[in-house]
Amino acid sequence: MTATTVGPTTTTTGNGPGPAPAAEPAPGRRRRGLPFSGWHLLLAPLALLFAIPLIWLLLSSVMSDAEINKFPPALWPSGIHLDGYRYVLGNAMFPRWFLNSLIVSVVAVASNLLFGALGGYAFARMRFGGSKILLMLMLATMAIPFQLTMIPTFLVMKRLGLIDTLGALIVPSLVTPFAVFLLRQFFLSLPRELEEAAWIDGCSRLRVLFTIVLPLSRPALSTVAVLTFLTTWNDLTWPLIAINHDTQYTLQLGLTTFQGQHHTKWSAVMAGNVITVLPVLLAFLGAQKSFIRSITSTGLKG
Amino acid sequence: MKLLPSRRGVLRGGGALALSTGLGSALTSCSSTADDGVGPDGRVTIEMWHGQNDTARAVLKRLAADFERTHPHIRIDLGGGVLADAMLQKITAALASGAYPDIAYVFGSDLANVARSPETVDLTGRLGSDKVPWKNYWPSARAAVTINDRVRASPAVLDALAVVCNKKLFQEAGIPLPEAGWTWDDFIEIAKKLTDKAGGRFGTGWPGTGDEDTVWRIWPLLWDLGGDFMGEDGRSIGFAGQGARALGVVRDLARDKSVYIDPKPGSEQLYQVFNSGRMGMVPTGPWQLPDIRTAKIDYHVAPLPSFSGKPVTISGPDTWTLFDNGPARSKAARTFINWLAQPAQDVRWGVEAGSLPLSRTAEAEPVWRKHTKSVEGLTVFTKALETARVRPAHPAYPQVSQALGQAITSVLLGRSTPAAAMRSCAESANAALLIPR
Amino acid sequence: MPPTPAPLTVAPTPAQHSLRRARRRESMTAWAWISPSVLIILGLSVVPVIWSLLLSFQANDLVTPSRWVGLDNYRALAADPHFSEAVRNTLVYTVLYVPLSLAGGLLLALALNRRIRLVGIYRTLIFVPFVISAAAQGVLFSFILDPEFGAANSLLSRIGVSAQGFLTDPKQALLVLVAITLWSGTGFCVVVYLAALQDVPQSLIEAARLDGAGRLHLLRHVTLPTLAPVSVFLVLWQIIQSLQVFDLVYVTTKGGPLGSTTVIVYFIWEQAFKSFTAGYGASAAYVLAVALCVAGGVMRFVSGRAARREEGAAR
Repeated sequence: MTATTVGPTTTTTGNGPGPAPAAEPAPGRRRRGLPFSGWHLLLAPLALLFAIPLIWLLLSSVMSDAEINKFPPALWPSGIHLDGYRYVLGNAMFPRWFLNSLIVSVVAVASNLLFGALGGYAFARMRFGGSKILLMLMLATMAIPFQLTMIPTFLVMKRLGLIDTLGALIVPSLVTPFAVFLLRQFFLSLPRELEEAAWIDGCSRLRVLFTIVLPLSRPALSTVAVLTFLTTWNDLTWPLIAINHDTQYTLQLGLTTFQGQHHTKWSAVMAGNVITVLPVLLAFLGAQKSFIRSITSTGLKG
Repeated sequence: MKLLPSRRGVLRGGGALALSTGLGSALTSCSSTADDGVGPDGRVTIEMWHGQNDTARAVLKRLAADFERTHPHIRIDLGGGVLADAMLQKITAALASGAYPDIAYVFGSDLANVARSPETVDLTGRLGSDKVPWKNYWPSARAAVTINDRVRASPAVLDALAVVCNKKLFQEAGIPLPEAGWTWDDFIEIAKKLTDKAGGRFGTGWPGTGDEDTVWRIWPLLWDLGGDFMGEDGRSIGFAGQGARALGVVRDLARDKSVYIDPKPGSEQLYQVFNSGRMGMVPTGPWQLPDIRTAKIDYHVAPLPSFSGKPVTISGPDTWTLFDNGPARSKAARTFINWLAQPAQDVRWGVEAGSLPLSRTAEAEPVWRKHTKSVEGLTVFTKALETARVRPAHPAYPQVSQALGQAITSVLLGRSTPAAAMRSCAESANAALLIPR
Repeated sequence: MPPTPAPLTVAPTPAQHSLRRARRRESMTAWAWISPSVLIILGLSVVPVIWSLLLSFQANDLVTPSRWVGLDNYRALAADPHFSEAVRNTLVYTVLYVPLSLAGGLLLALALNRRIRLVGIYRTLIFVPFVISAAAQGVLFSFILDPEFGAANSLLSRIGVSAQGFLTDPKQALLVLVAITLWSGTGFCVVVYLAALQDVPQSLIEAARLDGAGRLHLLRHVTLPTLAPVSVFLVLWQIIQSLQVFDLVYVTTKGGPLGSTTVIVYFIWEQAFKSFTAGYGASAAYVLAVALCVAGGVMRFVSGRAARREEGAAR
């Protein structure tokens, strides 16, 4: 994480409403005669405050058990001890849980893209009876609070024989109204002419969607992918309800249970925690621009 | 319910490693299938979620191996590494999903809820063996597994509450050791005398988290005063009138600062204080004796005090509950459970895992006799079984217990008077009883 | 696509005919495309909503056949102090979290909204906690805030403050949970506000500057009004998040100590999956859903009136 990697995004969202030319110095810089803007004095400590818990997470995961259980606890590891990681990767079932989480998230992302695109395109471009009512209904389901559907969804999954399988985690997240609606809005914003030309050429609708529309919809698709991945990877409530056996745990559920059983083995718990957090963290730092755009787009549409 | 705090305590303190290595291998084989369990060789495999760890798990493994030797057509899969604390939730989910074990270790206080499932085997008339008829069991052992006159499980671990005293501290304070017939007033007074704030020494201790380990210690007081779980109208609690006086004992102990309040679940610290020689008396079960002996504390066991002078105590048996996976597996599970309950196996489990014998017949076994000779005070616990009562098997018990636990904790911490604590306890307990089940 | 059946009547012209056939084909394609979404989305929302209503009139333990009990669940709910406590805790949590996260987010966004070096890093650091799962947050903070072995008390003791109970203290636990969520949730408000600040029309700012408006004036009369729609969205969004908080509570306090952090979703989860009273849990969920609907309706009405008043004033 360096200034250069973050730099480009700065120009997209991080800039002030000040007059566009970048040459103009920020107000206050010259007036105070500091070698840097006075705002740093406020922002640097604040940003550090947000970062400290995560730094502490990384540090404690490489502490030795002796250091971590000392009282008062050590605030800096004496060196890099990988005991916690070794323990977690060797004895516990973290690799299995990691795989489970990955399966659930990847399937959810893929199917949200597919079904979201199909449904969104149908709602955007096709005429069929009941489309308005259906769309309204789907939108309305977004307002249903989770606590209301939690118990019956468990019963539905039980009837389907999916409880205690990854299927119980996958089926409810196969497609969300959010994906359908977001893609529909995006498709509506595309010019119709391109598609019409393709129809005249005799392309099937499916081909039009996949060869013409979807390539133009990368921003919307990436938003759906990012948000689906984030919510399925991070979910704890539903796996907690739907899964019993630890062979079917996701990382979040596994981490929670692991912590409950290893009160004294904090370095291992923290190592497990790092493993749980890392994929999302790396994805975020790698594709920060798209992440932030995805998340703000939900806000600005509202 | 919180029956095995000592074993759990050991586990949390230092045995975490042992647990996790066991868990890793144990939990991988949980996939219970809905088949009839009969292999091609005609051997029936049954799955048991035993909930034990460390010592008790090792004992059970040996017992199962012996059983398999004498019963070659049955195989016991001790795979389920679910710990006792998490059993209720896991069993609920397993029953809901239709893939459940044949035998599970269920806390006595949870049995009423688990037994609602049609998959739970009714053991009425099928329990006991030629040598130990069901009628020969201690009354508390029978009561713990009987719901609406039906036998719904087999007692797994039997215990009773008594007071273990540190002889050295009593001697130093010049107090005679308590004997049967002492009262709670005596208890409060002795606890006060034994307390030495400056020396970091406590008269007694009480778990302060409000969980079942906090609560079960108050039931003997309530029963002694004439209270009961359910009132006569069958719709509200039956100890609202007695609660304040029972909580008065807690208040007095807290007022005198003679009670060590353990803030953490598992009550591990409470016993650590006793084992380090800084606590005069601790109400506990027989499972704590091995640790006390290891800590080289010279101790004496007295029955629990009462208000009336009559002996009254509580027994908190946990159960082996059976679930129906077809006739072959069900029969095999019954065979194993009945075999476990035979005096020879029963006392082996008792001696090695810290339980009490299920019946007088088992108590008379030479192995047990020899054991009681070597373990000071064990007979006090066994004798207490004659008058011990058990908590009611009521589906709302966990919630009533939660309300009572909050009342005890708030009095312990001096946040509330006994009367006020009892009022809010009655309010939320009665509300819990209103919920249709 | 299935072949269209041959026409039985001769009446329509070929052109009309082919148009109708195309329409029909389109309609069938559309249904084929939306059916997976419709099935899953409606199947897992409409069905549960109705099922929940039925459940709330039953005694159901998820294991045995259920029994109709009429309004008994709702009667029990009215008498249950734990339910009112859960509602109270959730309200306190919401009332603290929503305004604080919005105000903090706005202030940070205004501070970050300038052209200085490192601002990208600052923004990244402030936003990063948002992508961390609640489970991971809970595990991390129960470690940091452990009363005996945690780093927080160790730091406090160095500056001479006595050790705190944090999540084990009934008076502090809920506040600590709010603080943890502020740590992870404020970043969201920051980036949304930052994006919205980009949309503040430059011409307006220029014009105001030319009129000699000061910074505060600019902020109050130009920037903030343009942020109003985004703020409304954020308020709604954060309220929804706060009303559904569960993961963090489950991982850190399990509703304790002494019920001080039992929130609504935790209460319902406990009833359904721990106490064998799923019907009772469903009735609690229904009471809240209805309450939310009413509250949402009232809010819409009020904000609608406010908007109309504003329009009037602008005219």
